Amino acid sequence: MTDTPDDAAPRPPTRWETVQPWISLACRLGLAAVLITAAVTKFPPALSVQAVEAYDLFPHEIARLIGYTLPLFELALALLLLAGLATRYVGAVSAILMVVFIAGIFSAMARGLNIDCGCFGGGGQVEPGETTYGLSIARDIVFAALGAFIAIWPRSPFALDRTLGLYK
Amino acid sequence: MGSEARKRSREKLREQREREKRAAKRNKTLLVLGGAALVVLLVVGVGYAVLTYGQGDEYDGPLATTTLQDDGSVVMADEGVEAPVVEVYADYQCPACRQFELLNGDLLKERAAEGEAIVHFRPVSIFAQQPVPISSNSLRAGAAARAAADHDLFVQYNDLLFENQPTEGREGFDVDELKGWFREAGGDDTQGAEFDERLDAEAEIVTEFTEKFLPALTQDATEQIGEETLGTMVLADLLKWGDENGHDSSFLDGTYTGEIIDATGTAYTRYSGDNAFRGTPSVYINGELLDNNSAMTARGLSEAIASAGPGEVETRPMGDGGDADNP
Repeated sequence: MTDTPDDAAPRPPTRWETVQPWISLACRLGLAAVLITAAVTKFPPALSVQAVEAYDLFPHEIARLIGYTLPLFELALALLLLAGLATRYVGAVSAILMVVFIAGIFSAMARGLNIDCGCFGGGGQVEPGETTYGLSIARDIVFAALGAFIAIWPRSPFALDRTLGLYK
Repeated sequence: MGSEARKRSREKLREQREREKRAAKRNKTLLVLGGAALVVLLVVGVGYAVLTYGQGDEYDGPLATTTLQDDGSVVMADEGVEAPVVEVYADYQCPACRQFELLNGDLLKERAAEGEAIVHFRPVSIFAQQPVPISSNSLRAGAAARAAADHDLFVQYNDLLFENQPTEGREGFDVDELKGWFREAGGDDTQGAEFDERLDAEAEIVTEFTEKFLPALTQDATEQIGEETLGTMVLADLLKWGDENGHDSSFLDGTYTGEIIDATGTAYTRYSGDNAFRGTPSVYINGELLDNNSAMTARGLSEAIASAGPGEVETRPMGDGGDADNP
């Protein structure tokens, strides 16, 4: 079934080896759902640009580019996770993306901005005291953990990688 | 061949097989990575092309005639044009309004110049009751735009205000900047002197209003009618209540600051039901409120204009007989 080294005697898979692929599959599906939701709710892009500008970190042209392409990038990662293509690397990139988001939210917090993270649409100014930085960061940590799990244990069923002979 | 030699060659063979296996795996990984990168490029590239489709280039052509209306709003359309009326409600401190202007400002100019739309700019100040400097930025810019309209430079000035919008919550739109932008918009020395004088007066009114008058009025009203009721009142209603309860708002009479506060109050009562005015930017075509997908995309707005019939401007040109509200 799996390709065991030539001279090692075949042994029954451990419980972890049986369960892990399904956990990885669940992480792939969960993270893909998160990314698709994040991408779709950022439409229309003009409002997504506004959410980026609210961070007050980039000149307009860059903010505009991020506002337009970030949701598309999230969508592309989601498609790859669903297809199970380059699973390990997509998991890692997703986790890194979440870490970048967390850094952005920290920076907004540290500068005393009162903004919505714009993670799932919305974004822009909110009333002082109505910020939810803690929640946004905690959420992103969970998403980053999903990505990390996939990166460390990419072996999962229903994946193009497997069809192509990787992570069997 | 001795058994030692045989063992060595078997060993070698095995190593080579291992190497080949590793190389094959590396190639597979590279292939998969390349495929994934291609997917990302395709989705982002094609997506970007689709999302920005229909966003025209900057419009530098001549503007349609602009006519100041008696409520301080501005209509951009050439004489006798029959086309849909596109009303744009915007607050100069509102970030989404800035995005609307950056995205669709030129499209509106072009449609108006082609006679395909009557564009009705309706500046408002939905932030007038926010803390300083959000409120003061919003009102000062609104008053400045109105002063620019006196010199038929509203559209140019409107662009500059949104281009230079301060981050929400930061000091901005200061008096010297506002004066400078008037020159940049094309105001000459004589016009500039008039503009400056007016702006200085308005800036004082704005400071008085946002830092003294409104906090005192709000505190009084909170004590007497409760925060809950207060939360349901628009600013115009609060001012009316104030007039009856010892907070004389007559210092706003005849000022552009007062005018934009009135215009904002009127906006809330002008439409009802699904079309009700709730915030900015609000874009109406012949009185029908557009949703975000139409207003905040170039294609959406373009299609909405193209599919609408001719409409009527509700206001009257300034100095064209009597009150706007009683045509």
